[in-house]
Amino acid sequence: MFSRHVTKDISAYCHGELSSQQSKQFAEHIISCVRCRSRFEEIKLGIKFAEQLPQISAPDHLWSGLESLLDKQGGPQITQIRQVPASSWRMRVAAAAVILLVVSLGVWWVYNKRSGAVLITENGKPYWQVIRLDGTPTIGKEGISNNGQLAVGEWLETDGKSKAQIAVSSIGSVDIDENTRVRLLETHATEHRLELARGKMSARIWAPPRLFFVDTPSAVAADLGCAYTLEVDDHGASKLQVTSGWVALELRDRESTVPAGASCETRPVVGPGTPYFDDSSNEFRAELNKVDFDPDAAARSAALKLMLDDARPKDTLTLWHLLTRVDGNDRVRVYEKMAALSPPPQGVTREGILQLNQTMLDGWRDELKLTWMGVGKGVPKPLAEAYWRAKNGLSRRLKEMAPK
Amino acid sequence: MVMAEQLINGQVIEACQQGDRAAFQLLFETYKDKVFSIAVYSSGGDRAVADDVTQQIFLKLFTAIRQFRGDSEFTTWLYRLVVNACLDERRRRRRLLPLPETLAMKNPSEKKPQERQYARREVSEAVQAAIGELKPKFRLPILLKYIEGLSYEEIASVMGCSKGTVASRLNRGHSQLAKRLAHLNHPAAWGE
Repeated sequence: MFSRHVTKDISAYCHGELSSQQSKQFAEHIISCVRCRSRFEEIKLGIKFAEQLPQISAPDHLWSGLESLLDKQGGPQITQIRQVPASSWRMRVAAAAVILLVVSLGVWWVYNKRSGAVLITENGKPYWQVIRLDGTPTIGKEGISNNGQLAVGEWLETDGKSKAQIAVSSIGSVDIDENTRVRLLETHATEHRLELARGKMSARIWAPPRLFFVDTPSAVAADLGCAYTLEVDDHGASKLQVTSGWVALELRDRESTVPAGASCETRPVVGPGTPYFDDSSNEFRAELNKVDFDPDAAARSAALKLMLDDARPKDTLTLWHLLTRVDGNDRVRVYEKMAALSPPPQGVTREGILQLNQTMLDGWRDELKLTWMGVGKGVPKPLAEAYWRAKNGLSRRLKEMAPK
Repeated sequence: MVMAEQLINGQVIEACQQGDRAAFQLLFETYKDKVFSIAVYSSGGDRAVADDVTQQIFLKLFTAIRQFRGDSEFTTWLYRLVVNACLDERRRRRRLLPLPETLAMKNPSEKKPQERQYARREVSEAVQAAIGELKPKFRLPILLKYIEGLSYEEIASVMGCSKGTVASRLNRGHSQLAKRLAHLNHPAAWGE
């Protein structure tokens, strides 16, 4: 996870040109390396643009022009020599067939060749398969009996008595609970995106990190190889609960990275709140809610003091995120509590953290991950990571996520 | 490999080597759009130049095909001709003209689109223009990957370099595309 940077392999990874072992190492590294992840995003965008390059049809007059040139040029190689076993009329039939084939394959090529395993409807739209689990879910306004197709742009809706399951291309599945409304926004080789307008969904994804996204009214959930539930209420607020791996919640420049066993809430306009472990105390969570979303600055500061009193070493997950979200004396308080619970590693200074030096923040976070994974200090890092992966089933998924 | 290309077997190539015009036409119909696309993108969108380059490529292909011994894949051999012709044409134009590479690309063949398709076409045209601005060493691997659908190994063979160099050049090309077109990365631009 903390091995050499992988920026030079990004395009090869996206194009499935790496071996399974290399892909696994790539995926493991990119989950934790901010630098490589940022470059990954950039190159993935470049790929997305390059995929828009259309094949351009050659003009019809080219062949006649070429024939004239061939006639002018003469020479034995263009005379009608009949020494080959295949007769000319066969060639002509084949030529006619291939012209038809090339035209009809054009559409197939544009969609299928460039979108990997993405399924395409008869109307040429990418879609995901939907299975009815209960009641009568609807796609558009049509109820589905057992199976359905959710094409890009279409809404899937369940009422109080219905449930459905979506196969997310070939990378995972999403269970849709009752009273939920989701829309397929995009699905192609480098990005699969769903919109959750309201209700609850549970996702199990075995894709490389940052290929599957869910847009909600108050944040975007970016999968980092994981399983999670996401719930959106009627006001657009949402709650993410991660059961395996990692998920990032993002809105503009605000990002919360949520590991297995932790949750995070979001609010419209504000975006993602601060992640917290599900086994933290009720008081801790109540005060954190005020720190994140109370409009009164004094109330937020008071809540922070109470919250810090309740913090355990594991809660440095919450405190690390808060470092960049509070300022002044509040940031000093957060730093001091963190330093008391888990002293910063060598090279990470108080001044650097208080000035939000990104390298130092990342360095401290990497050190704290062992605690967040539930592994005691002193355990060798590779062993700790192997344990954590096994515990979360990540190792198996990383093998599965390697591009074929 | 696209099914049409699978029809180009040893027998067809042998027929071309013997000068069978129908076999030539089969070969031409199979590869003309791909070759023309690369010629258009390499000539900065100048379709008249792309017409000439495409004709010259096929003319050369038909006259040189007797030398093809099957030591490499036919497509590798063909795309080597294409890449060399595009590079030659660029060198020639640089001697004659200031630099027409950054000409805005035109795509007159497409009909008036619906609203949703319009935004996508905008992106597509901007990508075509941005591709034209890349250096050939970054542009050609992108064209061979996205227009021809070649693997890294095939691109390496066509360009006479290692797979690592192909990966590195594609990385640089993708990165430059992302930087040049970052302003288009919003849902409306993708027609959403």
